[in-house]
Amino acid sequence: MRYLLYRLRRLAIVLGVVTFITFLLVNVLPGDVAYEMAGMDSSEEEVQAIREDLGLDRPVLLRYAEWVGGVFVGDWGTSYINQENVWEAITDRFPVSFELMLLAQIIALSLAIPAGVASAFRPNGRADRIIGSLAFASVSMPSFMTAILLIFIFALGFGWLPATGYEPISEGLWANLRPMILPALSLALVEWTVLMRTLRAEMIAVLQENYIALARAKGMSNMRILLVHALRPSSFSMITLLGLQVARLLGGTIIIEQIFGIPGVGRLLIHAVYTRDFIVIQGCVTFFALAFVTANFLVDIAYAWLDPRVRTGGAHG
Amino acid sequence: MGDIILDVRNQKTAFVTARGMAQAVDGVSFTLERGRTLGVVGESGSGKSVLSRSIMRLLPSNALVPADSRVILNGRDLTRMTETELRRLRGPEVAIIFQDPMTSLNPVLTIGRQITEVLTFHMGLKRRAARDRAIELLRAVGLPQPDVRVDQYPHQLSGGMRQRVAIAIAIACEPDLLIADEPTTALDVTVQAEILDLLQRMVRDRNMAMILITHDMGVVAGRCDDVAVMYAGRIVEKAPVRDLFHHTRMPYTAALLASIPKITDPPHRKLDAIEGRPPDIINPPPGCPFAPRCLRADAGCDAEKPVLAGTSRHQWACLNPLGEEAPA
Repeated sequence: MRYLLYRLRRLAIVLGVVTFITFLLVNVLPGDVAYEMAGMDSSEEEVQAIREDLGLDRPVLLRYAEWVGGVFVGDWGTSYINQENVWEAITDRFPVSFELMLLAQIIALSLAIPAGVASAFRPNGRADRIIGSLAFASVSMPSFMTAILLIFIFALGFGWLPATGYEPISEGLWANLRPMILPALSLALVEWTVLMRTLRAEMIAVLQENYIALARAKGMSNMRILLVHALRPSSFSMITLLGLQVARLLGGTIIIEQIFGIPGVGRLLIHAVYTRDFIVIQGCVTFFALAFVTANFLVDIAYAWLDPRVRTGGAHG
Repeated sequence: MGDIILDVRNQKTAFVTARGMAQAVDGVSFTLERGRTLGVVGESGSGKSVLSRSIMRLLPSNALVPADSRVILNGRDLTRMTETELRRLRGPEVAIIFQDPMTSLNPVLTIGRQITEVLTFHMGLKRRAARDRAIELLRAVGLPQPDVRVDQYPHQLSGGMRQRVAIAIAIACEPDLLIADEPTTALDVTVQAEILDLLQRMVRDRNMAMILITHDMGVVAGRCDDVAVMYAGRIVEKAPVRDLFHHTRMPYTAALLASIPKITDPPHRKLDAIEGRPPDIINPPPGCPFAPRCLRADAGCDAEKPVLAGTSRHQWACLNPLGEEAPA
């Protein structure tokens, strides 16, 4: 319970800092939403009138305080451009981004775990060197490059998967997953390497432990030693990273959604930045910060599952 | 003669290191009969633990063992076996107990699982039966509330209890040979005797053979049949316990015995430590490895490496042994 309070306090600090900085940054950007609303040929007076109408001429701090007050009572504001409720705009699109990120992490993990275990089994062995070079090649390419390459090969070349688009889950699971595979893969191909290298390093250390020697002395097979005895004690750093990567993935989805035409929060944010629709920007950033903190909270819970010593509250002896 | 369980012949184990070859075990031979306990004594770095791992064929990949080294367990040569064949032996024929019970149990698996996996793999027990057998084993090693403990994790147990669990794992498949590698060094003195008593009882009840590795001469005195003293990777004296204590031949053994403080000593008496340090096993001296620290050494000791000699009952590797004064 005290731990939960501590967590919430940290969440409040993170949110405060993040939202205030974005508020300031958006306000120092040249141009504002009033230009956008007034249209191309409007006069300076018309723009100024809209500004006053929206209250944009008032001090930044005051407007920030108003916005924070609104968020506390559940009012995230409405878009200046299309009058859409910001909270609804985000929650409508977030499941799409969430699916993309989840799929990316699942692919990344299912590449990283077998590869990391195989590498750690014989460090500098043949498997380790092959996996190491593949990982190096994979991480050297930014996700948007990978995305274009994947589209070129699998969509344009073989025609197996669509290059762009999105289907809601109501169209069927496969119809929904098919256009998600390439975008998720583009994100995963960058992320898996870090997870793999982390798992490899920790597992090499764990394999030196006495309890691994005892497992060998009990006649257990290498496969069983790696997967049953060594994998769980070796995954702490990897799980920590999994939480931290959510931040990079949120950034990654913005670009990837743009390339693959996926209607997620990333696209909402990009559009809002172009039109200086700062109330939407503000909402998206706050939501991202929330998502990040939540993900890392889940990571903390995963520790307890991994290590019984965390579960019962400290070791004795 | 009883039936011979273990026959080690000329075991040599070296490690490839950045500085060169480290000859950790340098030509060790001995046999061990069913129902008997061999104490292996020596300082840190004398090759005791490497010897135990060499017997189990559990060596890291940078270890080198020459082709003429033989480890024969129950009449079968372990040095000629494949990894798969060896795995079937580890558990049912030979088991080991490590020094530190704090690190030799897996922290993320329950006590029960660490015992049952041996039973299901080697004895083909079903899950339910394996669990019952695990509880039975925990009761046999004197763990209180075995039916509760079986579902607990190692960190919920004290050091002594963990070593009892390690013993339960080791005896789970009724091995013929048990290697106890300093089983009590990491434990409180009060728990040490309990664990040693337990080991002794298990070995006697099950008619196993045991190799008890220790650096504590006191442990050897009461609980072993024979003693082998190791120095710089070699056995330098080997005899039944009584002979070794009363008719010590090798000066190193004598120095080890003298270094034990006696209850009759006056308080604050200086300990009789052995001067100097064990030799560098990467560049060993040409003669007797103990010569630089030996009070009886002469020019011959620095030139010639002594071999084990004596009777089949009592052997020693020394050019100027005690009890046989050198001719004037």
